[in-house]
Amino acid sequence: MRREGSAFNGLGVVMLKELADHLTSIRFVVLELVVMALAVVTVYVAAQDIKNTVAEDPFLFLKFFTTSSGSLPSFLFWLSLFVPVVSIGLAFDSINGEHNRRTLSRILSQPIYRDALLFGKFLGALLTMAVALVVLWLLVIGLGLLFIGIPPGGDEIARAFVFLLVTIVYSGVWLALALLFSILFRSAATAALATLGLWLFFFVIWPVLAGEIAQIVVPPDPRYMALGLQTPGTAVLEQVLARLSPSTLFGEVVVALLDPTTRALGPIYLSQLQGAVLGAPLPLGASVLIAWPQIVGLLATTILLFVIGYVVFQRQEVRA
Amino acid sequence: MRYGFVAALAALAVVIAPAAKSQDAPKDVKGLFLMTDYPAVTVRPGETTTISLRLQNYDMPPERMDLSVSGAPPQWNAKLLGGGQPVDAAMAATNSSVSLSLRLDVPKDAPIGTQKFTVNAAGSSTKLELPVAVTLAKDLPAKLTLTPQLPELRGTSKSSFEYQLSIKNDSGKKETVSLAAQAPRNFDVSFTEQYGSQELNAVPIDAGQSKDVKLKVTPPNTAAAGQYKVQARVSAEDTSATADLGLDITGQPKLDLSGREGLVSTRATAGKETTVPIVITNTGTAPAEDIELSGSAPSGWKVTFNPQTVDRIAPNANKEVQALITPTDKAIAGDYITSIRAAARGESASSDFRVTVTTSTLMGMYGVGIIGVALLVMVGAVARFGRR
Repeated sequence: MRREGSAFNGLGVVMLKELADHLTSIRFVVLELVVMALAVVTVYVAAQDIKNTVAEDPFLFLKFFTTSSGSLPSFLFWLSLFVPVVSIGLAFDSINGEHNRRTLSRILSQPIYRDALLFGKFLGALLTMAVALVVLWLLVIGLGLLFIGIPPGGDEIARAFVFLLVTIVYSGVWLALALLFSILFRSAATAALATLGLWLFFFVIWPVLAGEIAQIVVPPDPRYMALGLQTPGTAVLEQVLARLSPSTLFGEVVVALLDPTTRALGPIYLSQLQGAVLGAPLPLGASVLIAWPQIVGLLATTILLFVIGYVVFQRQEVRA
Repeated sequence: MRYGFVAALAALAVVIAPAAKSQDAPKDVKGLFLMTDYPAVTVRPGETTTISLRLQNYDMPPERMDLSVSGAPPQWNAKLLGGGQPVDAAMAATNSSVSLSLRLDVPKDAPIGTQKFTVNAAGSSTKLELPVAVTLAKDLPAKLTLTPQLPELRGTSKSSFEYQLSIKNDSGKKETVSLAAQAPRNFDVSFTEQYGSQELNAVPIDAGQSKDVKLKVTPPNTAAAGQYKVQARVSAEDTSATADLGLDITGQPKLDLSGREGLVSTRATAGKETTVPIVITNTGTAPAEDIELSGSAPSGWKVTFNPQTVDRIAPNANKEVQALITPTDKAIAGDYITSIRAAARGESASSDFRVTVTTSTLMGMYGVGIIGVALLVMVGAVARFGRR
């Protein structure tokens, strides 16, 4: 039987309801409070550090994101830790939770399609993350203004804004993954554990493992080792493998965006640096172009993970 | 007759004067004497000359002697000086002497010939007279000579010209000779020792000796080609000598290279040729010929010029050429330095250009394509599985 009407009828309603649920849930409030507290502390410490040590810098404001002080890691590190955790926390029980509460068939008995339900759940979670990240972003910039008293330049604001967009895209990857697992596993605990495990694997284990695999597949050349250099083949393979991890991709994008002097991500031959004026900042467009493959990778991963989840969900038996 | 007597006495005093100095007064000479070593001198008109006199007392009680000069032309301004100031009387103690000097300003237009006059000293009991003869002559043997060894030098406006000068002191005494040189405006002159770098203003030269000094003339860089004259001048207290020296400055091209309107930065895309206008200016004093252009860029880059060589640039003229810079395909984004050099014979100029390389946006297009494919997959999935 062919059904009529738009597949996305009722999308807005689902999305707004999801947003409202997330923003009022205790889980989200707790996670957000922790992130905000960390933001204040790290930015305050970074401000002290910048005041004391950093010399004149045309991109002083971007240092708020990247400066780490002593034992306290930079704001960026906390962000790369909490964006996946909060995203997973928001989405790990979005479908199986409905199942377990036996509300799924009740929702689907309303005049909305499953398409609208899944898209709405994803977009609602993404919107929640976007709201939280925008608040955090404004908080960092506001605190920076307060502590240092130097207004950021236009290029700095533009870079920080692109960084914000990329962070939202990055949270989309983990939202899509958590959504997929919440469709695949009926138990919310299993889905949470699987998603968090995968994140930990990509965040902690994979970068080390990529290096080891690369060394096994392309053994390092002793002539390069004697010079204290990495063998080009090994380095390239290690990077290709490491880039399978979304956290590596995000880290590379952030380096290109927040450090304007970055000229390339990945190994550079010395011949490519001959005659280069080191330390000269790149225009924002060039920086985005350097990080563009990584940004595309994050976006495409999000879409593909979501599509897999969508196909699985559409073919699933939802009556229980 | 009295003149003759006193002159004879004076002559006698001259003969015995060294003896009188070295020993005590001789026992058989007694009296007051007015003496000079050289009672007849030759001077040039226009000079000031000083004749030293002495009032000597042998075994006589001290006596006040009034001094005067008679017979001198009033324009000569004859003046007796004692202890540095004009005096009218002198008094010599027993067995001692008083030094006096007679200063004469000989006017320039004084007639050539011998002028005689008398110096008188009159006391209550003694009257002394000393006749003095001053001969005026136009040509006297020079007291200082200045001889350049190589009086004409040739070079460019960047070279320094060094003249060896020997100064000879033919006056009968040790002189401190001051050194000076007159050069065209903005030329730098300095005297140094012959072997050494110490700059000098004056050198002491013993009687009859000569000394070599070096005169260094540095023309300003902007000096036009041509002949220049420098006059070296040495002078002691009453004499001087000059030497005329010549400088022949040959012209020199000087190149200057920059971008159009002074812009030395440009943008380029990796692997794509970009054109940079370059202006070569000749700021020198001679035309520059056969100017070759070359560029040194990072490896893999290509720098060519259109045209590759410039035949001739006249002084104070400029020519524009196009530099075609192609960054290598593998260039990563950022700023690079490329030096561009123009070389004429023996003269070159270079300038560093900053090339901002941007990478091709083709990769960005691929990325958009990949996202498009992903979205198409999603749309396809919705179309295939949607509306359940």
